[in-house]
Amino acid sequence: MRMFFAILVCKLGRFVGKLVGKGSSMPGKAALKICPDILRRVQLPPHIIAVTGSNGKTSTVEMIAAILRADGKHVVYNEEGSNQIEGVTTLVLTNATFGGKVKADVLLLESDERYARFSFRFFHPTQFVITNLYRDQLTRNGHPEWVYDAILPALHPDTELILNADDPLSSCFAEGRKTVKWFGLDRCALSTDAPTGVYHDGAYCPRCHAPMVYDYVHYNHIGAYRCTACGHAKPTTDYTATALDLEQGVLTLDGTVEIRLAFRSIYNVYNILAAYAACRECGVAAETVRSVINNYMLKNGRMQTFTLGRHHGTLLTSKHENSIAYDTNLRYVAASKADCTVLVIVDAVSRKYFTSETSWLWDIDFGLLAAPHVKKVLLSGRYCNDLAERFSFTEVSGWTVVPEISEAAEQLASEGGEDLYVITCFSDRDKLLNLPAVKKEA
Amino acid sequence: MDIRILHFYPDLMSLYGSYANVSVLKRALEALGNTVTVETVTPGGSAEVAGADYLYMGAGTERAQKAALADFVRYGEAVKALAEAGCPMLLAGTAMELLGKTITAADGTVYHGIGLGDFTSQQGTKRFVEDVYGHTELCPEPVVGFMNKCAVISGVETPLLTAVELGYGNEGAKTPEGFRYRNVLASQLTGPLLVKNPRLLDKVVEAVYAYRNQPLTGPVPHDAWTEQGYAITAEQLKLRV
Repeated sequence: MRMFFAILVCKLGRFVGKLVGKGSSMPGKAALKICPDILRRVQLPPHIIAVTGSNGKTSTVEMIAAILRADGKHVVYNEEGSNQIEGVTTLVLTNATFGGKVKADVLLLESDERYARFSFRFFHPTQFVITNLYRDQLTRNGHPEWVYDAILPALHPDTELILNADDPLSSCFAEGRKTVKWFGLDRCALSTDAPTGVYHDGAYCPRCHAPMVYDYVHYNHIGAYRCTACGHAKPTTDYTATALDLEQGVLTLDGTVEIRLAFRSIYNVYNILAAYAACRECGVAAETVRSVINNYMLKNGRMQTFTLGRHHGTLLTSKHENSIAYDTNLRYVAASKADCTVLVIVDAVSRKYFTSETSWLWDIDFGLLAAPHVKKVLLSGRYCNDLAERFSFTEVSGWTVVPEISEAAEQLASEGGEDLYVITCFSDRDKLLNLPAVKKEA
Repeated sequence: MDIRILHFYPDLMSLYGSYANVSVLKRALEALGNTVTVETVTPGGSAEVAGADYLYMGAGTERAQKAALADFVRYGEAVKALAEAGCPMLLAGTAMELLGKTITAADGTVYHGIGLGDFTSQQGTKRFVEDVYGHTELCPEPVVGFMNKCAVISGVETPLLTAVELGYGNEGAKTPEGFRYRNVLASQLTGPLLVKNPRLLDKVVEAVYAYRNQPLTGPVPHDAWTEQGYAITAEQLKLRV
């Protein structure tokens, strides 16, 4: 009876919430008050896939959903990104019958790294994809090992883990587990022999702290690592990107599945790999994956093109406080060939909380912009001085500080017609995109 | 003059842009006409601590900190001798805890520090996270920074920040923060605190000159960016006090 009542309250709350434009966590919260173990009582679908990690969660989940739906499966997932237990409860109950049966083949959950253990207290995923663990929102998360320790209790022994073989830290989740599937990228044209970036999180083994060596590296400390003491090393992969040509935008999976990349970023490659591995584990044929992911344009708006004056602009959304996300986008700009201007905006460090913390700027490899085709760099937003100080320690020339974002846009609108890349976060992107001079492309 | 900086474990103790504390000091000393050499110390390597003009170690994870400590104890007596002689040092983030008597990990394991300071660190399973706005006796300007730690530090009698108006100090919210002994500075404020606080950088440069018995004739040069960046952060944080 309590379950019925909780489901009713949740459905009604969600209905009213949608009418008044409220978020999706309140109805779940109310339901949990009525029936705290409601998630244990409901009848969940046969496949429950969870995705967590520092980077790529949203994109990976979106692609998994698209593939599974193309395969004819009814997928329920937290599209609105509400990934704590209250949001998960709302999602589950609004898609359940009053008898408590969730009407879906697959429950797909983007899961917050720190809260996964709470979400999965009453049920556990059949598959758990962990994309990676990097320095991300350290103001909130402390450091990657702290996040590792927070995720660990969320991993039920019966859950199959789908792990990134190329990440030395998140691969440690496999320790002592029976069912693990690995995805990873073989050596390819973009691989280097040694780690890149301004800090080196792969220098020491996350298990024993002995020095690690690399056979090859794809970016930062992601690649084929090997501990010199304890044997921790990149494992043999089950789902493999066997060839990658980012310049041509072609990715080959398991030697046969060829995919054209709509967005030629190494990030996109790893997200595709994770989605491919998860869907194959759910019995989807490789050809179905290929047909969906080929030239797949993400709908989550992380990349937006626009015009500003005579400039054609690309907004590369990078999470503030996430140096690897920044580095990836900076590398994308560095790899572009045509003359360009780059606008970097740091105005609000986070949209969720206030902080003046800018240490993370020092973890970003802004020196990647020291390329002949990068003609000009504008630094803008409240923390433009901190950015400028950081740039003063790089080899990048031609950077100037324009504190007001609108002034930077006016300056760009009035002169030049070279490509424009804007590197900023969700918290700041609309401060540019909503200016009248900026015309968004579909 | 020729100045020799020892940077302990830059790859192991590297969280939150810690390295920038060395970069900004090196640049300031060079702008004053000095030749600066930065030697990195790696675990298991050999370093000549005697004769150094400045020692630095940045923040690391709690596990990295234990690995650093296992190596750093070899240098304990030499570091203490240098500290007594007035050699300037900065130990930032979790590196600060290495200077104390003991570090008790969250699982209860006790590790012995080098004992330069008479304090103990108790690590836990909760992190203390907040912007920090406080005051030091070294300079009249407020110190700005960010705290992200999991340890409560007890027994510090000579803190770096004698008053904290916003955020966490050694023993909790708004308690004194860090540790100071002669020219040794230690603080759990994360990241490049010498970049964020130009006046603290001045004090470190002055300490290097004093240790070498050289007169510092002019002001320490700073970028306009540093001064303006500091002013904005200080203003933002003061609003929250």
